[in-house]
Amino acid sequence: MAANPMTQFEVYRIGPEIKVGAFDISFTNSSLFMVVSSLAILIIFNLGSKKNSFLPNKLQLLAELSYTFVSKMISDTAGSKARPYFAFIFSLFMFVLFCNMFGMIPYTFTVTSHIIVTFVLASFIFIAVTIIGFTKHGLGYLKLFVPSGVPAVLLPLIVVIEIISYLSRPISLSVRLFANMMAGHTMMKVFGGFVISLGIVGGWLPLSFSVALTGLEILVAFLQAYVFAILTCIYLNDALNLHH
Amino acid sequence: MTEDQFKTRLQIAKNKLLKKELYNKNQNSSSIGAAFKISTELVAAVAVGTIIGFILDKTFGTKPWLIIIFFFIGVITGIINVIKSAKNMQK
Repeated sequence: MAANPMTQFEVYRIGPEIKVGAFDISFTNSSLFMVVSSLAILIIFNLGSKKNSFLPNKLQLLAELSYTFVSKMISDTAGSKARPYFAFIFSLFMFVLFCNMFGMIPYTFTVTSHIIVTFVLASFIFIAVTIIGFTKHGLGYLKLFVPSGVPAVLLPLIVVIEIISYLSRPISLSVRLFANMMAGHTMMKVFGGFVISLGIVGGWLPLSFSVALTGLEILVAFLQAYVFAILTCIYLNDALNLHH
Repeated sequence: MTEDQFKTRLQIAKNKLLKKELYNKNQNSSSIGAAFKISTELVAAVAVGTIIGFILDKTFGTKPWLIIIFFFIGVITGIINVIKSAKNMQK
């Protein structure tokens, strides 16, 4: 019984140690679960799109539902110009969702509960959106930082505020996902520990709480993946349709 | 059953469906998502403002001043961000 609720977030090496220069790129349990979730996505969607029967089976239904879900999300928030980025947003959403959901299975590792993972995803989105904005609008993309209808006296302050607000995007995006996943899993572990320490007499209360928390965590796991994807769409919308 | 009776029943059923749809629209997951979004928005802007102030202080050697100014600018940015996303939610 792991008494420390934080031991579940430990990253350890699986197999031999691999070093390239000063970097340790050994295969860890974190990488194992990234591979597992990517493989699960590949298998489910390959099987789901293999035979397009008129009466869909469960896998095909799952694949089609998630396709329409993401495509509706993109067209609602970013409009038709964001169509070419569908593949990226779909894989991003699915990866985060599957990592979160695999973390809900007991004895597994939650990849997204580490800030470095979410921060790499978020900063990749941030850099990509910035590049897209500059290639579509050239230097006109800088107009994002200068809202129209602001008196000239306030302009320097407003520009600084807008720049800080733009730079805070990857941080808020990554911290949100990481904090929600880590807090939820720690809480579940703490209540699990209460069940053991209170024994058969008083353990029923934390046990029922634990059951309720598991349901809540599954909701959070889905919601955070959804929020991550929809915010990517919103940032993409800012870059594609510049009207501030 | 006469045609009139059928028509009224159809109308009632349609109204019921419409009500359900409206309820679902207000209750869908995007509004919960927006609520999650707001909480971190505030913190992130303050953090970025402070980091920028810290870096500028180091480069210009004006030790305590810029970090204080940029901390408060970060707080203002966070509040503005929260107001902006709250306005977007009301749309």
